[in-house]
Amino acid sequence: MSAIAGPKSSLSVEYNAVAIIVSLIILVLIIAATFMLGIPMALSALIGIIVGGVLIGFGVHFVPVGGAPAAMGQAPGIATGVAMLAGGAGLAGLFGGAWAASQGLVVATVTGAIGGGLMMAITCFFVNVIYVFGMGVPAASGKVKKDPITGDTQPEFKSQGTEGHGLPFVSFVGGVIGGIFGGGGGTLVYMMLLGLYTATLPKLMGSQSVANSVAILPIAVSLAGVFAIGIFLVNAVLAAYNITGTIEGPHDPKFKRFPRDIIASAVASGLCGFVAILIATSIGM
Amino acid sequence: MENIVLGIGITALAGALAAVAGAAEDTESNIGSQGDPNSQVQLAPQMGYIHRIFNKAVAGEPPAYGLWCALGAGLTWAFLAMQLNAVLAIVLGCAITIFVQGVYATTAYLGRTASLAKFGQPVYIDILKSMTSVTMAHAFVAVFCTVTICYLMNSALGHPFPLPILGFIWGIALGAAGSATGNPYYGKERQYQNQKFGAGVPIAASGNIVRYAEAGVRNSLDNGWFTAKLGGAASGLCFGFIVFLELWRTVLFEKVGAGWGAIVVGILIILVFMVVDRFIEVWARKTYGPYTKPEEA
Repeated sequence: MSAIAGPKSSLSVEYNAVAIIVSLIILVLIIAATFMLGIPMALSALIGIIVGGVLIGFGVHFVPVGGAPAAMGQAPGIATGVAMLAGGAGLAGLFGGAWAASQGLVVATVTGAIGGGLMMAITCFFVNVIYVFGMGVPAASGKVKKDPITGDTQPEFKSQGTEGHGLPFVSFVGGVIGGIFGGGGGTLVYMMLLGLYTATLPKLMGSQSVANSVAILPIAVSLAGVFAIGIFLVNAVLAAYNITGTIEGPHDPKFKRFPRDIIASAVASGLCGFVAILIATSIGM
Repeated sequence: MENIVLGIGITALAGALAAVAGAAEDTESNIGSQGDPNSQVQLAPQMGYIHRIFNKAVAGEPPAYGLWCALGAGLTWAFLAMQLNAVLAIVLGCAITIFVQGVYATTAYLGRTASLAKFGQPVYIDILKSMTSVTMAHAFVAVFCTVTICYLMNSALGHPFPLPILGFIWGIALGAAGSATGNPYYGKERQYQNQKFGAGVPIAASGNIVRYAEAGVRNSLDNGWFTAKLGGAASGLCFGFIVFLELWRTVLFEKVGAGWGAIVVGILIILVFMVVDRFIEVWARKTYGPYTKPEEA
């Protein structure tokens, strides 16, 4: 890029081919290293963790976050940070998913997804209640002229000197979808690690009997929970860097940046997952 | 049947505790200007508006409450392992945690305000003395209620996560719900009370926060008093609904359809909130707007 051409618009999506290739090579190396460990279930667990991480990263892009300007009614969205809000919804989903762990992977993951969506639906609802009844302003988007779902026009509902305020319906729906992806992704990571630890920890700790396996279960649950929360936050923060600041939801031009985050999330989740899997090995013992 | 009745009772208690936690969290964060509106408190002296507002924002509300609730739950867990009575363990665990919050608030206020010295903003020692204890009291209520909820989830409802992890999860969720709901009310309606009701704050007015009260100079206790009436209540309802509905759908419908019952009920609840939200959105558009003539296509 030459200086004469000038800086590109901040809304255009830039891809760095070298970075993408290096990222993919790192990802392949991580998968190969996991395969070389020779632990049963390790590879499938890693793939699940990568998929879960990508779902989290993708989901964060749907969450309408307005940051400080939203707190003054100067911009649409929820008045808090991207990673924080996504973390709140995703972890609430993980809570529900972990509770349903005994009912199988599919039910637990869907339960976690709905838990995240439920948290976001309630939060988005109360955000609009405060804007409408506490501040006396209607919802208005600053990025589109019409709500893509309802067709409601937006510019004439923006108060003077602001970029919009509140949560238009498309942002509400985006928030719920983001919570669903976050909660489902977080629960998937947890379930993969729980399955791996439940199978490998008893052998690793030298206790094959059923009674000892039951006693080791709380350790497996705690470890899987801590790693799931950690991997969730890594992906939420990565997505927040990709978004840079605020986003209104799926209709925001910044949403188009998500492919970049998917690559980053896959690599970061792979690396974190590899470290989490290493705990279940006897290397160095 | 007995288990379900007990589960519903605990769900209701947890929901009520969550409502109190949400209200206390939002009031605490508003007195400490910890949410996004802190940007204006920090900006005001740079624009020439010297004030007596407390500002302890270093981290956002969700990570801060994640830390405090995890710490409170972890200490409670340790006291429980020492065979202490559960109520005493929770009270002691949360009380020790609040001293950490107090240290955080003190260093945050001194650090943030001292950085504004070049703009003439003084560090008010009387503000530090009077505000810190009030935020600590509110934070105690919020953390105590949240840790109690986590204890109930773990011991009575049988959630597999240990207490510290539950504390972290629900601390983050508490901060997220409280900041999302309460921040706009404090940021717009209180800090910019001099602006017109029924409109967002024009970007050009940034930094010009209200600094005088009905009598004398406004401080953060006035802000907590004001926001507790609507922002605090709404934050409490928000977090209360999140905890109550999440537990309710699981306790009552987990066994239905091999787990799919709770999922279907969750989807239905989401749809109900979506419909009511749309109703409010349409009502607001008809009642308040439009501000300008619609653009011709």
